[in-house]
Formats: sequence, structure tokens, C-alpha cells
Amino acid sequence: MKTQEMLINVGPQHPSTHGVFRVVLTLDGETVVKANSVPGYLHRGIEKILESRTYPQVLPYTDRLDYLAGLLMNWGYVNAMEELMDTEVPERAEHIRVIMGELQRIASHLVATAAYSGDVGGLTGFIYCFRDREDIMDMIEMVSGARLTPSYMRIGGVAADLPDGFLEKCQKFIDYLPTAIEEYNGLITGNEIFQHRTKKVAPITAERAINMSLSGPILRASGVNYDLRKARPYSIYDRFEFDVPLGSNGDCFDRFYLRVLEMTESARIIRQALDKLPDGPINAKVPKIIKPAVGEAYAEIESSKGIMGVYVVSDGSTKPYRIHFRRPSFINLGHFDELIQGWKIADVIAILGSFDIVLGEVDC
Amino acid sequence: MFGKGLLKGLKITIGRFFGKKSTVQYPEERLPLPDRFYGKPDFHYDKCIACNLCVNACPNKVIKLGTETVEKKKVVTGYHFDQQYCLFCGLCEEACPTDAIKFTKDFELTTYDRDTIGIEFVKQGQIDKKIKEVKQAAAEKAAAAEKAAAEKAAAETKSQTEEADKAETTNKEGGA
Repeated sequence: MKTQEMLINVGPQHPSTHGVFRVVLTLDGETVVKANSVPGYLHRGIEKILESRTYPQVLPYTDRLDYLAGLLMNWGYVNAMEELMDTEVPERAEHIRVIMGELQRIASHLVATAAYSGDVGGLTGFIYCFRDREDIMDMIEMVSGARLTPSYMRIGGVAADLPDGFLEKCQKFIDYLPTAIEEYNGLITGNEIFQHRTKKVAPITAERAINMSLSGPILRASGVNYDLRKARPYSIYDRFEFDVPLGSNGDCFDRFYLRVLEMTESARIIRQALDKLPDGPINAKVPKIIKPAVGEAYAEIESSKGIMGVYVVSDGSTKPYRIHFRRPSFINLGHFDELIQGWKIADVIAILGSFDIVLGEVDC
Repeated sequence: MFGKGLLKGLKITIGRFFGKKSTVQYPEERLPLPDRFYGKPDFHYDKCIACNLCVNACPNKVIKLGTETVEKKKVVTGYHFDQQYCLFCGLCEEACPTDAIKFTKDFELTTYDRDTIGIEFVKQGQIDKKIKEVKQAAAEKAAAAEKAAAEKAAAETKSQTEEADKAETTNKEGGA
């Protein structure tokens, strides 16, 4: 029988693309023959804007990269700046950063889990995850004054000390999290329909994942043990005890379930950081007008989506000469076109959801 | 058994159905906002010293500060906050040495047209009052200075005459 190929356009306005992302699919019946992804609909030219901002003014813009993990994006930038300026961050500030960063990671993974459940068809799981994410959002709001765009970290420390009542609230959340995760597992992970939709769908081999420069949960789902917090510890991560969960098949289910497992590990880190939280200053001695010496710095952190790298070039003035962000979502998405070839159109949404992209970060 | 997972999920949702609600009826019921919340900005005219730090701290050039020099003193004549470009990052509040700019907890900032979204905090009455105060203070200071100068001059003439008197007496005594 003679078949004819059909061109179908997914996005840019499509709820399952998690933002404004477009894919042009060439279909043979229901099977994807060729895919052409078109990002760029949310491009705001942040890297260029930053060239006309002073160093502290860069910070609110980093919130708007991965807007589901604003604190981690802040951290990526201040980390690079501290390397450029050779600043020693006080102990208490480092602990606060770890606590807030891991809370943000849980929040980001909760959105990934929730949205994935919604993408595959179970909207109940979506609502349950968002209910618990709200607790984290409340805590972030309590500490920084905003839910999604905290701008909380500062070069050499953090903006303000933890408010009264935060530690109790955080402890309560950490104690509650295992019950919540049990609920997600009952609702989403254990659901047979969900498993049929995701297991053995679009596996990525470890070798291919490394070759495509994937990072974060997607890489670890393929069984590659590479987490920057363990492999090349930044901040004070070398002092905490935690495991790096690994997947075995690298399929959609592993990519999804790895995030659930990582939430537990993050909670473990927060618990240790809360116990160890020392007293002391929350800011290093940084000059009022920040003018780094001529030079450049590149620093990486493990964001919730993968390796977030920030490259800063200073020409000795108060404004950066160039800032570049290595955004994990963008680089992970590079493998998407190739991966969905040969899969059914319904799987395309499941595969895209398992990548957990945030378009603010992809397009920058 | 196929469907066991589905039943487990249903059990969770049924249990939740009879549980406590996690939502509130928003416009009527409101959750408390934390103290650090960044809502609509508020400006205290009397605290502002026109140092321009907030203007320089802002990443989006939201704040326009107008000043006028009256009797060698800076008087704020305008503080325009263009709210539509505000990122609510709080860098201006952090930069302010006198807490003149503060963020309130008001987050319902929708307006019907563009003209009303920018806030002009300074009223003409406040400027007039401040200028009057500054001028009055300057006048008082000048008057006080004049008075002090006059007193000093008087004291000087007095001491001079006293000295002259003294000299005269010594002369007389010497002559005797």
C-alpha cells in the first residue's frame, strides 16, 4: 500500500510543550519519520541585556532563566562571580544556600513529576504534586519575598537571614515529604496505564547520552553516575551524605522515577544542613561597588535540569563584558529530534515531558 | 494482577476526598503574606535624602528622581515609580540608607490603562512645604548667624573699651 507522509506542527502554543516550543513532525501514518524542533519563541536576549547591567543587577535576570528553579539559577551566577572575585562565602551563608537550593530542587522536580503525570493523562497526580510544591513556594516567599523570582542570593552571601519560624516549617515539610512521595508513587508511578505509556519508551544508552552531552536526571537515568555535587563538589556539598540515584534502562519511566528518588535525597541533604546550621555572618566582605579585576571565570553547578554553567568576562568596569549561560535544558533538548524518530505521535508528548524542559531556560 | 495499581490510586483519592481541603476561597479568604513580601512600593517623602542610590540600583531604570537645590540643600521634587517595568527584586529597598522606599503587601496592582500604572509619589503640597521649611530653616540659621556675629562684634568692642579703660587707669596710676 502506498502511503503519503504528512507534516504536522506541534506548538508553539501547546500545553504539552511546557511553554512556547515548536516541533515540526513529518509523519508516516502515526510514526514520526523526521522531527525538526524550533525553539526561540521565548528568546529575550538576556545575555545581551546583561552587558548593560551592573554585576548586582544581573541577579534578577537569572531568576527568569529557569523560572521553576530561580534560586538555583541565582546560585549559578553568584558561584561564577565568587570565583571571578575570589570571595570566601561565610559558613552560614553556604548552609542557607544548600537548604534553599535543595528545597528549590524538590520544587522543580515536583513540577516535572506533576507535569509529566498531566502530559500522560493523569491530571490527579498533577494536582497532588502542586499541593506540596505550594509549601515550598510559601517557604521561598517567606525567605526571599517572592515565589518564583526570589533574587535571594548575593555575590558573597545571601540577601537576608532566615526568618523566624522558617526552620520549624522546613523541618515539618521534610518530615512530611516521605508520605507525599508515597502518594505520588501510588497515584502515578504504580499506575499500570502510566507504566505502559512510559516503560521501554525512547531509551537512551549511556554512551549516546554522554556523546550528546546530556546532563542531570536524563543522564543519570541512563545509568551514568555523574552528579556535580558528588563528582566535583562545589559549595559545601562534600560534607553531606547522600546517594546519587541511577536508572538502568534510560527510558521515559526511569527519567521520571529518578526525579522522585532525587527528592528523597534532597530531603536528606536538607535535614543534615538544618542540623549543622552554624551561627555567624551571612555575607562576605564585598565592596559596595563591584568592580572585578580584568579576567574571566566559568563555574558550574548541578541545577535541577542538569549542569548549569555561567561564564563571566570582566573588563574591569562595573558592568560585565560578556555573560554566557550554559543552560542544561537547551543542551538536553538537542537530542530530542533524533530520539523521537520512529516513535508514535502520542509518545512524542511523553518523551518531551520526560526531558523536563523549561522554555525560559532553553531560549534564554 | 493488572489494575492493582489503579485501585491503589483510587484508594488515595477517596481518602483525600474526605480529608481536609487544601484550598481557600480566594477573594473572600486570604492566606497571610510574609513580612518580606514585595508588593506595591511605598515612598516616605520625609525620609528621602535624594542620594540617588535606588535609581542606580534598579536594573530596569524604573525610578525617576527629581531634585531641586534650595538654599544649598537638595529637595526631592519628584519620585516617579514606573511600576510596569518593576521586577520586584527589592534592590532599591536594599540600597536605600534611610528606608525611604519600602514594599507593601498589596499585590493586586491591575489597572485599566497604562497612564495610571506609574506612581508619582510626591505631591506638590509636600514640595511646597519642604521648600518653605528649608527656606525658613535657612533664614533662621542666617538670622542666628547674624545675631551671633552682632554679639561677637559687641563683645569685641566692649572688651576693647574695657582694655582701653584699663590702660587709662594704669597710666594714671603710673603717673601718680
